[in-house]
Formats: sequence, C-alpha cells, structure tokens
Amino acid sequence: MPGDQPLWLKVVLKVERAVGQPVESAVRSDTYFDLISTTTRIRRKALGAAEGVSRRCLHMLNLPAGTDIRRIRQQLARMERRLNELSDEVAELDETHTNSGVR
Amino acid sequence: MPSTLNPADLLQRVNRDVERSVLRARNGVRYIRGTHRPTLGATPKDVVWKSGKAELWRYKGGDRRYGPPVLIVHSLVSRSYILDLRPGNSTVEYLTGAGLDVFMLDWGVPDELDADNDLERYVDWYLPRALAAVRRTTGQDEVTLAGYCLGGVMASLYAAGREDARVRNLVLLATPVDFSEMGAMVALLREGRLDPDEMIDETGNVPADALYSGFYMLAPTTEIAQKATLLENLWNDEFVEGFQAMATWSRDHVPFPGAAFRQLVELLVRQNILMTGSMPLGTRQVDLVNAQGNVLNAMAERDNVVPPPAVEPVMRLIGDPARREELRLPGGHVTFGTGRSAFKHTMPKLTRWIIGHSYTSP
Repeated sequence: MPGDQPLWLKVVLKVERAVGQPVESAVRSDTYFDLISTTTRIRRKALGAAEGVSRRCLHMLNLPAGTDIRRIRQQLARMERRLNELSDEVAELDETHTNSGVR
Repeated sequence: MPSTLNPADLLQRVNRDVERSVLRARNGVRYIRGTHRPTLGATPKDVVWKSGKAELWRYKGGDRRYGPPVLIVHSLVSRSYILDLRPGNSTVEYLTGAGLDVFMLDWGVPDELDADNDLERYVDWYLPRALAAVRRTTGQDEVTLAGYCLGGVMASLYAAGREDARVRNLVLLATPVDFSEMGAMVALLREGRLDPDEMIDETGNVPADALYSGFYMLAPTTEIAQKATLLENLWNDEFVEGFQAMATWSRDHVPFPGAAFRQLVELLVRQNILMTGSMPLGTRQVDLVNAQGNVLNAMAERDNVVPPPAVEPVMRLIGDPARREELRLPGGHVTFGTGRSAFKHTMPKLTRWIIGHSYTSP
C-alpha cells in the first residue's frame, strides 16, 4: 500500500513518473514514429546490401549463402504446408466416410 | 499526541526487519540465479484436439455443473497461460472451480509453416474443427465462446459468419473494434509510415521481438518502478512469485503469422473495416450484427493497449442489440485478467455472467 512504502521507494516512484511521462509522450509523437520507420528502413537496406556482397563472394567460391538456405527453407515450408493440408483433407474424408458408413 | 515506542515494539520491529533482510537475501539470490521460478499454466488439462501448432485443452477441475462448455479463443499475439498464470491467480481455475467446463484454444508458436495462415484459416478452418472437438468431447451442442483481445475478433467473425455456429454466449474480453482508437501501438502502421512487409522476417512472420518492443515502448520506464517495488517486497515469497510469473509472460511473445498480419493491417487498421459492421472473409461478407448468442463486452478501464474507446463500439455493432451487455472492469489490458484486482472484480463478475446465461448440466 502506498502509505506503507518506505521513503526511498516513494522517491524512486516519483522520479520514475517525472521521467516516464515525458518519455511516454515522446514515444507517441510523430518525430518518434518517423525515427522508427527511418531506422527500420535503413537497417533493412544495410542488411540487404551486406547480404548482397557476402552472397556474391560465396557464390564466386561456389558456396551457398544464407539467402540460398533461406529460399530452400521457404520452399520446404511451402511443401510441408501443402502436405499437411492434404493429410488434413484425407483425414476428414476418412472421417466423413466412416460416419456415413461408406466403405 | 506523538506516539511513543516501547522497548517491546522496538524489539519486534528489529526482529521483523532482520527476518525480512534474511528473506530478501535468500529470494534475491534465487531471483538472480533464476531458480524457484513459478509454474505457469498449472491447472491440469487434457489435450483433446490438435492440428498443426494449435491445441485444444480441456481443463480438469471440480464437477461440471453448468453448460454449455466455455471455449476460450486466445489472441495470436501472446501466450495463453496469462489466463492460467498460477494457482490461486488463474481465470481458468476460477471458472473451472465455479462448475464450468472450460476449454482453451491455444495457437502455439508459429514458424515458417504458419506464415500463410490468414484470418480465414483461423476463423473458417481451425475454429470450426476445434468446436467440433468440443462438441464431440462434451456431447453438448451449444458453446460459450470467449475471445481475448484479437481472439475476440476471431470469435465474433465465427459467431457472425456461420449459421451452424450454435453460440449461446459470446464473451469478448478487451476486443478491439475501432482501430482508429488503438493508439501508439498501431499508429506506425495505420499512417503508412511502415508497411507490414517491413516488419516481416525471413520466416514470413512478424518476429516476437518486434511485438515485445512495441509493448515495451508504450511505457519504457515502468520497469524501473516495477524493479524498485520488487526490491522492497523481495522478502515476500508470494509477491516474488507473482512478479516472476508476470515478468516471464510479458517477455514471452510469439511470432505473428505474416498473412494474418498483412490482413490485420490492411483491413482492420488502415480501412478500420470492423467499424462498418461488415468484413470480407474468404468469398463471403460477414455482418457482425448476425453474431449469435448473448454478447458480453468486457473492457478494462485503464487499458492502454486496447483502450476503452476501441472496444465500446462492440455495443453498436456485434450481435443482436437486445442481447448485448457491457462490463467495465478496473485494471489494464493484462491486469484485468490476472492479479489481485482480477480476482476481486473480473473473475467473479465474468463467472456470474456466464453462469447466469448457462444452464444446469443434466
């Protein structure tokens, strides 16, 4: 209960609010939103550029790059998804047949 | 009159402070070492259905006196154990203890395989199958469908979009409808500063870290106040356990499936489509007013993730106007469902409403 709080805790909570409120307003401002979107774009571009360079180097040595592995993983995931969908459909067809007594 | 401290009181206070210091030291070491973590989601349960990452759990408890069964549809953003945090502080345990037959639809942790999951997949594929499993397990036809946060949106779409839904009650917990009122969390996406694809990683999903950062940035300094309060209460085992449970959950987000995220941003955030009362789902148009059952719109008064103005329009849009009820509860987005306040306000009121709209099981 606030009444039972020691003095040090009351001070910390007061300071936290004094600092926190302006910070919370700042992170809801247009400037902050612009900063976040610009940072996100720059980071993605930098990562993309770095990946491009390392990929070319690795391909020169006939080695697969991270992006190749990623593409293969995506293709595998797509296949596994399709396989799961098909097995779900088969299981449901089975169930329908069992319920309707079809053999 | 100034109070005087007699030697006996003084001795008692010194004793208490020494005892607390010892306990603080012990709990501090345990906290730093990460040992003695509380068990989360501890209410005993059976897995009654499973598909992909999704699992349907049926909670064990006392005698199931009321029907229909209650199916909780959890959000896609966070872990479902928030509603079953720890013994004595669990909505699920409370509902089960009151004689309700409680099920939870948990979505698991999405990975590459779930990147193509869109809202249709959740509403038209998973939900009907999970509900069929509930009906098979209980032998009852109707259900009480309870959705938390985004789970409430999916539950509403299901209840409104299918004639065979057989929903007796639709309970919406902190369910956003007016996304223009969602505040800082979605402002970046709503105003087009960020495209959804810029947030999606190589797995095809929005990484859990991005979601955690979004929540963290709503109040970046509160952690200092929380840690200071922990330090003061470090002697109290119960407090430390509760703190650890909440801290674990608040860092434990899950990736958001990419396809559903793109839809969420385009339809719900940018077009604010739920406010039109209608939403396209697959090849059909779902009118929210057609949602079956009695509708309870429960909201948290100090919710800064889904603020009350984002939730209030449920009362104008979802279900039969004569069967809508509103429940305003103290607390924030999470604390209204867990913690002391939830135990005092949310759990009894929610349970009373559900039981009041249920029947006695044969």
